[in-house]
Amino acid sequence: MARLELQHVCKGYDRPILDRLSLTVEEGEFFVIVGPSGIGKTTLLRCIAGLEVVDAGRVIFGGRDVTRVPPYRRNAAMTFESYALYPHMTVFENIASPLRARRMDEASVRKAVLEVARLLRIEQLLDRRPHEVSGGQKQRTALGRTLVAKPDVYLLDEPISHLDAKIRHELRRQFHTLQELRRVATVYVTHDYAEALSLGDRIGVMGDGGLVQVGSSREIFERPNSIFVARHLGQPSINEVPCRLSRDGGALTLRSLEGSLSFAMNGSQRTILEKVRGDVLVGIRPQHIHVANGGSTRQIDNARVEAFEALGATGVLIAETGGVSLTVLTSPEENFEPGQPVRLGFDVEQFLYFDAVHGRNLKA
Amino acid sequence: MSQSNYRLIKTLLLIFLGIWLVFTLFPLYFMVITSLKPVEEINRMIPTFWPHTLKLSNYAGIFADPGSLKSLADSVIVSVANTALSLLLGTLAGYALARWIRGAAGENLAFWILSNRMFPPVAVIIPMFFLFDSMPWGTDSYFSLIVLYLVFNLPLATWLMMVFFRDAPRELEEAAYLDGFTPLRAFFRVTLPLVFPGMISVAMLCWIFAWNEYLFANLLTGTTVKTFPVHIPTFTLGSQSLWNLIMAFSLVAMLPPVILFVILRRYMVRGLSLGVVKG
Repeated sequence: MARLELQHVCKGYDRPILDRLSLTVEEGEFFVIVGPSGIGKTTLLRCIAGLEVVDAGRVIFGGRDVTRVPPYRRNAAMTFESYALYPHMTVFENIASPLRARRMDEASVRKAVLEVARLLRIEQLLDRRPHEVSGGQKQRTALGRTLVAKPDVYLLDEPISHLDAKIRHELRRQFHTLQELRRVATVYVTHDYAEALSLGDRIGVMGDGGLVQVGSSREIFERPNSIFVARHLGQPSINEVPCRLSRDGGALTLRSLEGSLSFAMNGSQRTILEKVRGDVLVGIRPQHIHVANGGSTRQIDNARVEAFEALGATGVLIAETGGVSLTVLTSPEENFEPGQPVRLGFDVEQFLYFDAVHGRNLKA
Repeated sequence: MSQSNYRLIKTLLLIFLGIWLVFTLFPLYFMVITSLKPVEEINRMIPTFWPHTLKLSNYAGIFADPGSLKSLADSVIVSVANTALSLLLGTLAGYALARWIRGAAGENLAFWILSNRMFPPVAVIIPMFFLFDSMPWGTDSYFSLIVLYLVFNLPLATWLMMVFFRDAPRELEEAAYLDGFTPLRAFFRVTLPLVFPGMISVAMLCWIFAWNEYLFANLLTGTTVKTFPVHIPTFTLGSQSLWNLIMAFSLVAMLPPVILFVILRRYMVRGLSLGVVKG
């Protein structure tokens, strides 16, 4: 039972991967780190686990400075992306491994392993070897090995990314309900934004050198602090339209640099943009554009369908207007033929504006 | 490819394999029948390929001869001790090279160790003789042969074990650290079982070398210690070679490696293919 603190952690190989990264994960908190692959998420976990020695900064478990403590004395448990199950041992022995390290007596080992196996519903597999069980079962075995250890910190590295969708969903639900994970600090790494939004009490979006933004899933999704964060969260991903502000007497208008898309700015939007100098990158989430049938929202009439994908629960429409391609979320029942003219409505209130040079959110 | 062409190629391959089989098995066959022939039949100008008389007296002679038995015992002592040492030191060194000595230093060190196998052994015979002669244990001792064979077996064992350790996933060891095992306990619990088939292969290769080695054994030892390859020439008398005894003795000496190979074949194949197919 401990909170996890990272203070100004630095780690680099040929280039800095973690640059003065500071983070506190409270006891009982489920903290999800999301970011593109190769950005250093696993390196961060390995630094917390002690598998990598940090170049600078401190790692603290519940007030105990473990920066120079080797992994086997840190009391952190980690699942590996590859599961890292011992191939020469049964599922039972794999799960029992942390208890064997503590030289626990046989009866207690058996009791603890059975308890965890029942929780994860793998008790019928205990005599099998890792190569005899499925991917989802391997993952549960790996998870069992971390749960049985009752560590101070849980580190989960892409635990469900390589499983098929159905099992992924089931395990995701399991992460929600596992009380063990809710008692200690958990750091969960994934590249899948939906997993992050679903699971995280708080989410950290990782970019070059460290965490770009930390916040609740709602904060991160609705108020991304930069185009990098906005780009990484959401499927289909956000429309990015580089625009120039033009002031014509009292009117303030955004005109796209390419093509001829333009929006007149009023009300609160206008207040945000009034002081801005230079170009603006407008971010429009696909769900904030819709196919309009009359109605009063701001509309563009001259759009044309480029492609349409019906994805079961949603439909994704790609429409072109004024030389700009936009992704639009629709209901799946609708049907669009390429070339067909459509009328698009925009929720201008929901637009995000980013600094064209640095990508900073101008609302924040 | 048409069906008939396929058949033709298959038939030709089978014929070729048949010839190859005769070619490789004939010496063995000739050894066996020679070991069962009486002396008179061996000395014929045209050898008999289908012996007229077969008798086991040659084998009885071997087992009744204290010199022959002692030479086999000496071979067992030298080869087993040498294999155990090669395996122990080679495993430890291979692990160190694979995991802990990184970068160019490790690469060069590993290659330098292997390069000890590259010079012709004859080149070091004379210096070795004088070196061992000046040692307290002298040349003619178990210890001298056991240590000398390390010169050849240890580089091989180190190099092969290093390759096996490199192919054993590092993450499994790291998982063991996180379970709470110290590096030493993680090594015995996780890493060593992973390379176990490899160790069996290495042990077999080292042991066969030490078992069959003649050149150095003949030069260094011969009185107090006499391994079986050194004992074989003693069946050659001034006027004639007792081929029946030589063959019988050689066949007896061949048995241990053959039996061991049959028993350990499962591990040997897995060990030698470690790293070829990554699972």
